[in-house]
Amino acid sequence: MNRHGRQRLFKPETLAWFAMPPLLLQCLTLNWSAALTWPTYALLICALLKLWRCSKPFDRRLAALLQLLSAGLLASQLQGLLATILQLIAVSAAFAGLLGHELGGMLSVRALLRRSLQLLLAALPLALVLFLFVPRIAPLWTTELGPVRGAVTGLSSDLDPLSIERLATVNASAARVSVPDGEALPTTAYWRVLVHEQFDGRSWQHRDPPFSRQPYRGLLNESEISQWWVIEPSSTRAVPWDGRSKPAAKDQWVTSEGELMVGAASRQKRSFRLRKGTDAMRWQLRPPFDSERKHPPASLPRLKQLGARFRSLPTDQERLQAIERWFKNQPFRYSLNPGPITDLDNFLFENQVGFCGHYASAFAALMRSADVPARVVSGYLGGRQINPLTGSPYLELRQSDAHAWVEVWLEGTGWQQVDPTLWADRNAFDNGNQGQQRTKLTWSDRANWSPGRLGQWLQGQWWGLDMAWTRWWLGLNQSSQQNWLQALLGTQQKWLGLFVVLACTASLSLGLLMVQLRLGSHQPLEQSLRLLADFGVTPLPGDTFSDLCRRAAAAHPDRNQLLGAMAHHHQVLTHASLNSHQRREHLREWWRIQRELGSPS
Amino acid sequence: MRSAELTLGLRNLYIIPSRFGALWLGSAALLLLVAIQTTSNSTLLLAFVMLALLLLAMFLTHDTLQGLCLRCGEPSPTFAAESATYPLLIESRHRRPPLRLRFRKASDSAHVQLSAGVTLVGLSWRPEHRGWQQPPQLQIETIAPLGLFICWTRWNPQTPQLIWPRRRRGPVLEQHPPRWRDGLDEWNDLRPVREGERPAVVDWAGVAKGRPLQAKVFTVPDDVERMLKPAAGVPIEQAREHLADRIWTLQQRGERYGLRLQSKTLSPGRGLQHRNACLEALATE
Repeated sequence: MNRHGRQRLFKPETLAWFAMPPLLLQCLTLNWSAALTWPTYALLICALLKLWRCSKPFDRRLAALLQLLSAGLLASQLQGLLATILQLIAVSAAFAGLLGHELGGMLSVRALLRRSLQLLLAALPLALVLFLFVPRIAPLWTTELGPVRGAVTGLSSDLDPLSIERLATVNASAARVSVPDGEALPTTAYWRVLVHEQFDGRSWQHRDPPFSRQPYRGLLNESEISQWWVIEPSSTRAVPWDGRSKPAAKDQWVTSEGELMVGAASRQKRSFRLRKGTDAMRWQLRPPFDSERKHPPASLPRLKQLGARFRSLPTDQERLQAIERWFKNQPFRYSLNPGPITDLDNFLFENQVGFCGHYASAFAALMRSADVPARVVSGYLGGRQINPLTGSPYLELRQSDAHAWVEVWLEGTGWQQVDPTLWADRNAFDNGNQGQQRTKLTWSDRANWSPGRLGQWLQGQWWGLDMAWTRWWLGLNQSSQQNWLQALLGTQQKWLGLFVVLACTASLSLGLLMVQLRLGSHQPLEQSLRLLADFGVTPLPGDTFSDLCRRAAAAHPDRNQLLGAMAHHHQVLTHASLNSHQRREHLREWWRIQRELGSPS
Repeated sequence: MRSAELTLGLRNLYIIPSRFGALWLGSAALLLLVAIQTTSNSTLLLAFVMLALLLLAMFLTHDTLQGLCLRCGEPSPTFAAESATYPLLIESRHRRPPLRLRFRKASDSAHVQLSAGVTLVGLSWRPEHRGWQQPPQLQIETIAPLGLFICWTRWNPQTPQLIWPRRRRGPVLEQHPPRWRDGLDEWNDLRPVREGERPAVVDWAGVAKGRPLQAKVFTVPDDVERMLKPAAGVPIEQAREHLADRIWTLQQRGERYGLRLQSKTLSPGRGLQHRNACLEALATE
């Protein structure tokens, strides 16, 4: 198809349609139960209808504005690298569509795209000044934005291993965490998510804590950051953490049970940072609630009887050690496929085969029977270290790394972590699907290459980029802004307002200059006309370019030859049938003549 | 103030945000609020980019009109109560985004996209009265390149346009030369007699010779002259409108005619120049 044919096919007005696919793609990843999802859907449907049925010029403008608004709402919900790229494409296309409509076919599609990009770039200096230097403010109000419904894989608030004959081993990604450069990734750490403190004899339930606005915690230095997290959609507001780090933002807080909550939780990908924690956290020293002391129900007589045997021991520590010895002396065997287990009595005294949920449930119930407060914690264990070609190494947690363990209250030391699964017969593991058992992937080993592994490797590389982007982009927050303002203005912060006004003026001037420079280039004919105007010759109605050149040559006989050559090249470029190489040659010659004409004689 | 030429600049250009600009600003504010609530950097940057584009658009919209030089053309005469075209010469040193020109109170507007050089633009308006008429106030406006601001200026072009009296069919007093009369033998054809035909035009000689009843068709000789005068008993303004229509018709038929008004007489003639002179006399005398 020739050039004109392409231009007919892609009219400038059609550019607005190119914004829709990236926006719709992102909408597919939104969860319908999040607060901003429905406004985003509504805006996008309105934009679609406006584009489809636009009868007035205002409709087209409105469609572009709705597309920009949708992109903005999506940007607030999806902050990953891919989502950001899609948002950038959508914003550029929407803006080009608006420009194409307003310029009324004045430019070709390519010129229009270039022009819209130039305008966006011209606006960028001012936008960056505002973005970097206008003081950020904290959220004006906080609401319970977290969803309550919706299907996503991941940890559940109810832990009921007895109803599962075979543990599902979903290999989907759960989270990714990176640490400051130079620090080792904790590949054997326990990442706690949910605390299940209520036991009904069969399952352990998690109690969702009431939402509470947290007090301001002060600003954060970049050096204080110890972990950067990216969490895949999950059904809980609680997010994985190591139990020691401290929240780094106002919308994060630690509950009295030791769960880390993120205020802006939703069933979408979330990112957050944590800072280093050195001293013990308050949750570790919080005395147990009654619900955490409650004995198992009478439906578990053998378990209660066994637990009662340990009550005679004087201290909690001794009871713990005695129960640990009891577990280790029994022929417990670890299996992801334990078969039907009727209750914990059946597991402890007959079957004795199970996975982490069985061990944690049974051990916690036994500890409570022995009058030691205990609760079950679910989260992730270990993770897989990925070393991407770009970005820093990171730890990847998959859903199959999900794990359950126990916390017991020991007088004088507080809540202590115990993992009874480790006491099972380690040699009898029927597969290596537990996090700490998995070998590290060695991509250098060629024997490991296969299409599936290659896909995993590529995904790991992409996530590495995503992680690096998230670390950098999330790092530009209120506290880092305070840091660079401190570095820039020192103690003279009172002059910030004046500084911002001056910087805005300068950046706006720079933007205008960029637009003006653009007007002065790229169009040979227009530049030639400007040049001829400098020679004192302006076009009159009916004038051809050759007539203009002749008039200019008459006024400036010393430039006669150059002006004649310029007229010749214009004639050839306009009327002759040229291939692309010849066109380039003539254009190059045209530019050369213009430079010569522009230079002082 | 009326002038023959106007160069657009800071002193005569006005600019305010358009309705779409207000919506744009509201949307940016909404995104700013969402960005604060969700602590989203991408949304915050987009909100600031929209604000920056708004500020940039103010200057760019102003630049669309700044530097334009407007001059009055030579307007052609036209009839009252009909669409008149007023020519404007617009000089620009470079290509400009689209802009709109219209006379105030006129329904039609011209959307023009100027190239470098001088562009002739014809603007339509509808004069109601005869004579040398000043066109209404001209408004030049643009919202390009982003539709966020509307920039405009108003100008009263100085050059008047001649407006002939409105064309209206009606009685006109015509004085024919004495040799052109019914009943003479200066006929060149015969046609069937229509009902109510005057007996003077019937070919009685042919009837006497046994031919059917036929009417004579007369040829108006090339040099037949007629003088047009306002019909008696008709108000003078209305009579002028009848005369304008009659002159236009006669000119189209290529006939010779003259015009006699109370204060001016134009001897018979034909051609555009004569027609224009007659119509101008009707418009201005």
